[in-house]
Amino acid sequence: MAEHYSSFERGGRRWLFQRLTAVFLIGVLAFHFMLLHFVNHAADITFMGTQARMSQVGYFATMWLFLVTATFHGVNGVYNALVNQGLTGSRKNAVKYLLLAAGVLLVLQGTRVSLAMTNLV
Amino acid sequence: MSQSYNRGTVEDFGRWRDFSAGMWAWIFHKFTGWVLVGYLFTHIAVLSTALGTADLYTSTISGLEALLIVRFLEVGLLAVAVFHILNGIRLLMVDLGVGLESQDKSFYASLLLTGAIVVASVPTFLGGALV
Repeated sequence: MAEHYSSFERGGRRWLFQRLTAVFLIGVLAFHFMLLHFVNHAADITFMGTQARMSQVGYFATMWLFLVTATFHGVNGVYNALVNQGLTGSRKNAVKYLLLAAGVLLVLQGTRVSLAMTNLV
Repeated sequence: MSQSYNRGTVEDFGRWRDFSAGMWAWIFHKFTGWVLVGYLFTHIAVLSTALGTADLYTSTISGLEALLIVRFLEVGLLAVAVFHILNGIRLLMVDLGVGLESQDKSFYASLLLTGAIVVASVPTFLGGALV
């Protein structure tokens, strides 16, 4: 039988969601970089331009999903990396809840910011 | 019960000469992942100026973009993001069992393509800051 090389637990949902968010992020991160560095140069970004983009429902939804999936992928990745380095027991639990809180706060703040950038609401 | 493959400790830097392509890919993917998640938090912090006035948001971004160091950091961020994306595609292929026998070659291809994209992007990133 082949050895289990992954650092994720077998059958865990965290592994699946890490892969699913990766597929989404590959496209959206590349799009984000292209749009805000090559189509629109970062130095030329203004609040008016940002508001015009974020006031399109499709763009707003894509950016909000980008925030949520990137936060999950990043925080879950950090947690997995730490577990992989031998984090166990109560320290593992503490790190889990700390990262969960950081992720939730980031999504909340990102949502506030994205709403402030749009005139959809 | 699943078995774990003993990779040894990454912190044992004396082992680096023995590392295979797959081990380097693993280390680079972790490193670029840490950088990207750190940047994500910083990015939202900077964009939070949108909660103030429109002028504050615009002047914060233009002020940062006027700094040459920020332009170089953006080139670094591009390198990190492109490698993470390309190696991420490679990892998805490995997970699906596609091209396992050439996973080392696909790592080298990820590195080369990252280098080419970054070099080609330098004029765009530094434009306006140097000239």
